[in-house]
Amino acid sequence: MPAGGESRAKHLIAVAQSVAQEDVDLLFDSKNIWHRPDDTSVKYAFGPTPEDFSSQSRFSFCVLPSQVGRDWLGSLIRLNCEAFVECFPELDLGDLAPVAGKKPLPKHDLMVCLSTRSAYHLPVARKFVTSLRHRGLIGDSIASSVEMAVQEAFANSLIHGNLELDTGGHLSMDRFKELGEETERRLASAHYGARAMVLTARRRKNGHIVITINDQGNGFIPPDEKATANIDRKDTTFGRGLPLIRSLCQSVNFLRGGRTIELTFDDGQTEKATQDAAFLTDLERRLATSPKAELRLPQNATILIADDTMLSREIIASYLRADGFTNLVFAKDGEDAIAQIKEHNPDLIILDIIMPKLDGYAVCKAVRADPAYAKTPIIAQTALEENEGRTRIFDDGATDLILKPLNKAELIARTKIHLENRLLVQRLQAYQERTQSELEIARNMQENLNPAPEHYRGVGMDYGMRISATFQMSSELGGDMWGLVPIDDHRLGVYIVDFAGHGLGAALNTFRLHSLIWSEQLHEQAPDVYLQVLNRHLKGLLPVGQYATMLYGIVDRQKNVFSYASAACTSPVLGNSVTGEARYLDGSGVPLGVVRDAQYETREVPFDKDSFLLLYSDALIETTLDHGQFLCEQGLLTMLQDTVLEGGADIDLAAQIADQFMDRAPAQLDDDFTIVSLQSAMIPAATASNR
Amino acid sequence: MNYKTEFADGITTVEVTGRFTFGDHSSFRKLIEEVRGHESSTLVLNIAGVDFIDSAGLGMLLLARDEGEKTNTTVTLRGAQGQVRRMLEVARFDTLFRLED
Repeated sequence: MPAGGESRAKHLIAVAQSVAQEDVDLLFDSKNIWHRPDDTSVKYAFGPTPEDFSSQSRFSFCVLPSQVGRDWLGSLIRLNCEAFVECFPELDLGDLAPVAGKKPLPKHDLMVCLSTRSAYHLPVARKFVTSLRHRGLIGDSIASSVEMAVQEAFANSLIHGNLELDTGGHLSMDRFKELGEETERRLASAHYGARAMVLTARRRKNGHIVITINDQGNGFIPPDEKATANIDRKDTTFGRGLPLIRSLCQSVNFLRGGRTIELTFDDGQTEKATQDAAFLTDLERRLATSPKAELRLPQNATILIADDTMLSREIIASYLRADGFTNLVFAKDGEDAIAQIKEHNPDLIILDIIMPKLDGYAVCKAVRADPAYAKTPIIAQTALEENEGRTRIFDDGATDLILKPLNKAELIARTKIHLENRLLVQRLQAYQERTQSELEIARNMQENLNPAPEHYRGVGMDYGMRISATFQMSSELGGDMWGLVPIDDHRLGVYIVDFAGHGLGAALNTFRLHSLIWSEQLHEQAPDVYLQVLNRHLKGLLPVGQYATMLYGIVDRQKNVFSYASAACTSPVLGNSVTGEARYLDGSGVPLGVVRDAQYETREVPFDKDSFLLLYSDALIETTLDHGQFLCEQGLLTMLQDTVLEGGADIDLAAQIADQFMDRAPAQLDDDFTIVSLQSAMIPAATASNR
Repeated sequence: MNYKTEFADGITTVEVTGRFTFGDHSSFRKLIEEVRGHESSTLVLNIAGVDFIDSAGLGMLLLARDEGEKTNTTVTLRGAQGQVRRMLEVARFDTLFRLED
């Protein structure tokens, strides 16, 4: 069993590169994180952005930079990690410490700790809920209700709790202005602004999800529960949230003297998520035990004989041995039976019902409760002839029943049937597992066709651009791919490809095209010529009916132009980083692989020091979002403009658009999702890590 | 939250986009001050592009309404969708504002 012995393992911590090593050391030496910091050993992995951390690594904590921005808030859905802590000098969690829980195991399924001053400006509730969706902790269907409740509770804890603002009374414009100014003052003060906000989520065994929001203020006394959600217009701006929260959750509790609000949600779908999780654990366990569960001949099977009388055990053993079954294991009571099952993982259990300590019914139940043995055949043997006992043992999970005194031929026949069934099932499982792991390898290979973050960032800097990208594969293999092709010191080529469909076929095609792209040294040709050549090659390789959309373009930093050709690619967006204004470019053209002599057109647009360019796959505009519609053309432009105006030239544009998209898209995408941005920037960006 | 204002024929139209929540205090104050200068008879808040609103955001809409009453300006909320529409319904804003699709 792989469990146990984990507690002494090193904790891998993901750290934002802008955080100084000594500040991280201080954080992990303090009692804020662990109960006994001295007993814990840590290893840090630094990264400039959340995209830089491998999805293969599992992190115990993620340390966010002080004054967290939207980029690092995005780590909540990007990192394989359950605990996120902002590293700021005044952090003192007091009675909320240690956030890792008393034991060295994670106490929560998700925990986020932010300073009040960071939290105020961020869409924390939204990102928290998106993260819960992506982790399968809540279903898409209740996400909207959860978000509304968390938003209200969070605002209350932040405004009334940590900032201690009194928003009571009638809200006039003057009062509103005054409140706004006081809010800014308190956010800037070390006393209020540096208090922590801690959000946690935990899934109970019954499938309920429990979310807590914790502040460090003076506590809050909840008003009358009977208040309705109707808003009295004479009331204040804030603090009407509670009735709304109550209408959205199953229950609301106040703990820590009103400094913690605990929301419980019941979600029909969480049951499914729980089952999925159980299935995964089961699979993991089976994979772990698979060397032992190698395919065997029935005669090589391990058989457990559980019976409290030695004579019975010997009789059964002698029958089985006579027929060639020699791998026999014995148990003399119910408890012993369970111990032997755990030790030997038998292929068949012959179980007596009436035994000391634990009877056969209880053994059956216990065995079936453990997913690792859910399918192990159990033949119950009993002298009971009454129907009640027979029905009961089947209810408790026995596969078959055999009556005492035993008939040798019957025992052997039943043993063989159940073992053969088991071997068939195992073979099938082994096959599925192998396919699964091969698919996993193919997925990794496909992900590696795309440039890694440090690569595209570095290349971008060489050309005075900030390049950002997000790639998310659909549940299966997909057909998306993008890449950068440096041509000379002022020209950079870029391509984005989407093969029709997804799954193995589309994935194989991306491999084909990738090798074509990198074997043909034609990148400096005009984009239309380039696509024509590529199309001719691809037409020869692709089976009829398979095709790809593609855009190939060249950013020329000397001539300040972007010239491109498109084979039915989604319309690229060209925008201005200063004004935020953006427009769609023409993406029309024949898809690759359809006709042999397709002609393409090179189009040229200005691309200067304020320009940005956005390329994306159709998943961005063809996924049904939370409002039941696709992201419309105008919607994307508005999102870009808002993002650029809020963040300026100093943001990872594609990553931020992806984050906003993920907030509103289903947790499982039907198609690959690729988004790439090239944004002119004042390089070097060495000081540009925050905000 | 972001906004764009347009003024024509005594009608001010404000297109509001993004999330409209407690943190939008200062941008909303700017919006109100900007609109006040127009002295228009009707203020249309086009909130079709707002994808999330919380109770603080609702409070700010009420504030816009109060301001409107002082200057005899009718405030209309236009195009609420999804969660925003749901919030307006829960808060019975149909009794307080003119709502348009």
